[in-house]
Amino acid sequence: MRIIKLNNQIKKRFIFLLIILFCFSTSIFLISYSLKDQIAYFVEPSDLKNMNDIENKYLRVGGLVKANSLKFTDGNWIFEVIDQNKNSVNVIFSKTLPNLVEEDKGIIVEGKFIDNIFIAEIVLAKHDENYMPQSAVDKLKKEGKWRGD
Amino acid sequence: MFAITPNILSKFLNTLSKYVFLLSILLLSVSIFLIIFLENDYYQGISFKIMFIHVPTAWLSLAIFLVMGVSSIIGLIFKSPTAFTVARSLSPIGLIMSIIVLVTGSIWGNLTWGAYWVWDARLTSMLILAFIYLGHILLLYSFEHFQKADFAASILAIIGLVNLPIVKFSVDWWTTLHQGSSVLKIGGPSMTNDYLITLLVSFFGILMLSIFWFSNIFYIITEKRKIERYRLLND
Repeated sequence: MRIIKLNNQIKKRFIFLLIILFCFSTSIFLISYSLKDQIAYFVEPSDLKNMNDIENKYLRVGGLVKANSLKFTDGNWIFEVIDQNKNSVNVIFSKTLPNLVEEDKGIIVEGKFIDNIFIAEIVLAKHDENYMPQSAVDKLKKEGKWRGD
Repeated sequence: MFAITPNILSKFLNTLSKYVFLLSILLLSVSIFLIIFLENDYYQGISFKIMFIHVPTAWLSLAIFLVMGVSSIIGLIFKSPTAFTVARSLSPIGLIMSIIVLVTGSIWGNLTWGAYWVWDARLTSMLILAFIYLGHILLLYSFEHFQKADFAASILAIIGLVNLPIVKFSVDWWTTLHQGSSVLKIGGPSMTNDYLITLLVSFFGILMLSIFWFSNIFYIITEKRKIERYRLLND
């Protein structure tokens, strides 16, 4: 095998490219690190506890729809959005819900807090990355391994 | 020293392209058959089947950019015309792939989330990737000579490499509306085997189709380079 000797020109170009890549990746990292709150699409109900002045502020809150909380009364949808730490937010929504909004499934609500109730203007259903046919779900339920729903 | 010239690679790809095309037709027809007869998802219903176009094209648009970036680096360091030609012929394929990802993704998003487009990290970084592909093509064709165009465009491709991990890991680093990775993740794929096989078949089908397409574009660009060199020598 022949050993390839790097001559000076090649070495120079290599270092030049490394410097370009390093500079750009560092700057992108710094930008995205300092803007991480803006890049995040939603906050969870637990994060709201550490935030000040959430009243009348336009927010997106994401989590799961709490089981047995989804109700339709007086032309409004009322439900609770809950996260893993069991903190929840009461939401009221007056338009049509997306098809996939179900209890115990992901949801993102966009709107404002008024008197500790979240008045949602936009509701988006958030599905997870698990895909399986109904037959597999039935099989898992039969074996008692089903964790969803 | 032995070197792969564009001519040699073009001839090699030409001999290969026939079989690659046949293979892609075979794989794609199998995958269409599989997609049609596959059972629907328990939660999303039939709308999740768009995943079998969305995910393979998304993988490819990232993989093509990676190959483009690496060959730009090789081209810049070793002044290799072959590497530059590879990068040049990959960008239109990558652009089409990323446009397909964005279109199928917004159709899927409308059916499941209830919105065609949101500005979350994954969607935005994918849009930026599509714009980098577009910029790469525009840069390639805004210079008179191949050499200058290749230099400028490969700098853009190398800078654009920074965007790749952002696209891939955006769903892990920030909260997004987009779901996390299903296949390439820690703990194995989170879908049943029949879905996974269909996904892989359709991925390899689209991969073979893009290799076929790549070999055609590569041939055209090699011939154009020859014409330009001939013209420069005879001026």
